[in-house]
Amino acid sequence: MEKEQDLSRRNFLKLSALTGALTVGGVATPSSAFAKTVSIGKTKAALPKAKGPRLVVVGAGTSGLTIAKYAKKEYPKFDVVVVEKRDMYSSCFSSNLLYSGIINLEFLADHSFLDAAKNNNYLYFNATVTGLDRDKRVVVTSEGEIDYDFLVLAPGISYDYEKIGVTDLGVMAALRQTYPGGFISPTEHITIRRKVQEFEGGVFVQTVPSGNYRCLPGPYERACMIASEIKKNKIKGKVLILDANPQITIKQTGFHAAFDELYKGIIEWKPTSAVTGVDVEKKIIHTEFDSIPFDDAAIYANVRGSTLIEHLGLMAPSSKSNQKEANIDTRFYNYVGDPHVYVTGDSRPHPYSKSANTSNTEGKYIAKVLAARAQGKEIEWVSPRTVCYSMVGADPIEAISVDAGYDYDPAKDLITGFSKDTKTFEERDGAKGKATLEWAQGIYRDMFDS
Amino acid sequence: MDRRRFIKICAGSTAALALGVPRVWASEDYKEFENALLTDTSGSPIKASNLGSEEAYIFHYPYKGLPCFLINLGKASAINLPLAGDPLVEGNSTYNWPGGVGKGSNLVAYVAICTHQISSPNKDVSYMRYAASGSKLAGGPGKIVCCAHGTIFDPAEGAKPVFGPATYPLLPIRLEYNSSEDSLMATGMAGHHLVDQYFKSYKRDLIKEFGPGVYREGVGSSTTTLLLSQYSASVPAC
Repeated sequence: MEKEQDLSRRNFLKLSALTGALTVGGVATPSSAFAKTVSIGKTKAALPKAKGPRLVVVGAGTSGLTIAKYAKKEYPKFDVVVVEKRDMYSSCFSSNLLYSGIINLEFLADHSFLDAAKNNNYLYFNATVTGLDRDKRVVVTSEGEIDYDFLVLAPGISYDYEKIGVTDLGVMAALRQTYPGGFISPTEHITIRRKVQEFEGGVFVQTVPSGNYRCLPGPYERACMIASEIKKNKIKGKVLILDANPQITIKQTGFHAAFDELYKGIIEWKPTSAVTGVDVEKKIIHTEFDSIPFDDAAIYANVRGSTLIEHLGLMAPSSKSNQKEANIDTRFYNYVGDPHVYVTGDSRPHPYSKSANTSNTEGKYIAKVLAARAQGKEIEWVSPRTVCYSMVGADPIEAISVDAGYDYDPAKDLITGFSKDTKTFEERDGAKGKATLEWAQGIYRDMFDS
Repeated sequence: MDRRRFIKICAGSTAALALGVPRVWASEDYKEFENALLTDTSGSPIKASNLGSEEAYIFHYPYKGLPCFLINLGKASAINLPLAGDPLVEGNSTYNWPGGVGKGSNLVAYVAICTHQISSPNKDVSYMRYAASGSKLAGGPGKIVCCAHGTIFDPAEGAKPVFGPATYPLLPIRLEYNSSEDSLMATGMAGHHLVDQYFKSYKRDLIKEFGPGVYREGVGSSTTTLLLSQYSASVPAC
């Protein structure tokens, strides 16, 4: 990382000398307009001096926003800064409901980082993390360096296209742009909504990856939402679910019932059909046994820990995570051997569901861990909770749900599975359909309001 | 001052209760508000003995925009329960919930805001309800359920959470029962910080429903009481 920065700096100086003009802070000034060289040493981020132990939270998704708010509540002496590369929020959770028109973009995006920070007494800092010096406790961003006492990295996931047989960077880029997975960014959601609205017939493929991908029921829920549009608009087409798994990964009874009873002939589910390659030009998806032509698609590649975790040197060995997630303590989330750096949310290696409610409940626990450690204390481990609704009907709205906890085995230091009080509610109904909307609204309130 | 007076009032009034068990309310952040008689939609005082026990009633108190549950448990509640409020609010940690009022100590009232992520009834929908005869989510009968994230509160035990993510009880509303009139009066509440949060979170909706500033006005000397299913157009039965 250091070497790369030095190289960048040299290149920049070289380029500057060639152009013969430099700007300072983006604005040309009379005194600098004709300078041949300029020194651009490392700069501190433009933040006020910390008034207490500084907690820097990187990533303002469900995990980061929850931790920032509740760490401050648990330990008001914390001086909390949230570093987020986006300048506008829009949630990934609930985004499937866009595709059937149950919600609009405002539902996902009418939530301000500025308000969240103001309401909860922390600072929102719009920047991208580019480096980390754990010895000096400095996190480097595109807008300067920030000293920290505690650092929480909650950068979410990245896609792992190599696991679906796509290794060529050109194909990977084409696939990412043309058939996005729709489980990371708002621009993917908008593209998929356009695809659904413009679908005039044929085969719409929704793939389901193997492994612990983000939002286990998400691809099946999305298939239902797309199918409901096909049904409503009487389009001669179907949703083909190419599932890498031998069975629907969660709420299988409820989803199978919806496929059979609501979308017979519209949804076709093919298990054990892992994608092994994609011909983007010819619109053909390859699986181990088939080559399947399609008219449009949302290709959900496998999921890995955010590339940021790898770039910062915090990735777990493959023996601990086969999804390039972070090398952290099972119960307390600190990078192994470093009590000042934590990785939370969907870059964790735990077998927890990678979902909003998991990160929200986990975040409240991690806030307590941080508050305790800032005061030289330790607390008992508490399981996160996965309350998760899946909309299966759009007209009228109907949903199914699960409420899961997790067990920890201290002898193995592992999360071993769902806790005994885990319950599923797989009979779809309108009550759960409405609750699906309020579930999301509650999490928004929890993250953005005081 | 408020608290001392409150304890005195409660101790005095509850001594007159039918069961004769002295009950004491106490809360660091208890607030008295103008007493409001609970009335029906025609403005007549409701008769406590006529209240049904199959679902919750809604009345607004102490503010025009703050919905509260009135529940006839159909049985006596627990009495004198030591409970803890929001653990993240300083000085608001413990209080004593005195129990139900009425001839059978069966009538209880709480602010109808889920203490987890502040779901609350409005005219369109209520994600919280009293599941008198039980539900799949609630399991057994007689619980308040919040469909949003699955918290279950026990109204017979001060509405403390018995399952799910909420960490503290629904906010208690203090009721006084007039045995000669068989009427009910709301007189105060504890846990005002959550009301502040509620007003802030729902400000745009409350302005739309009640008008600018109106939701924060006091209800006055009486407040209309009606069934939740009459107040909210949709009450999902989770």
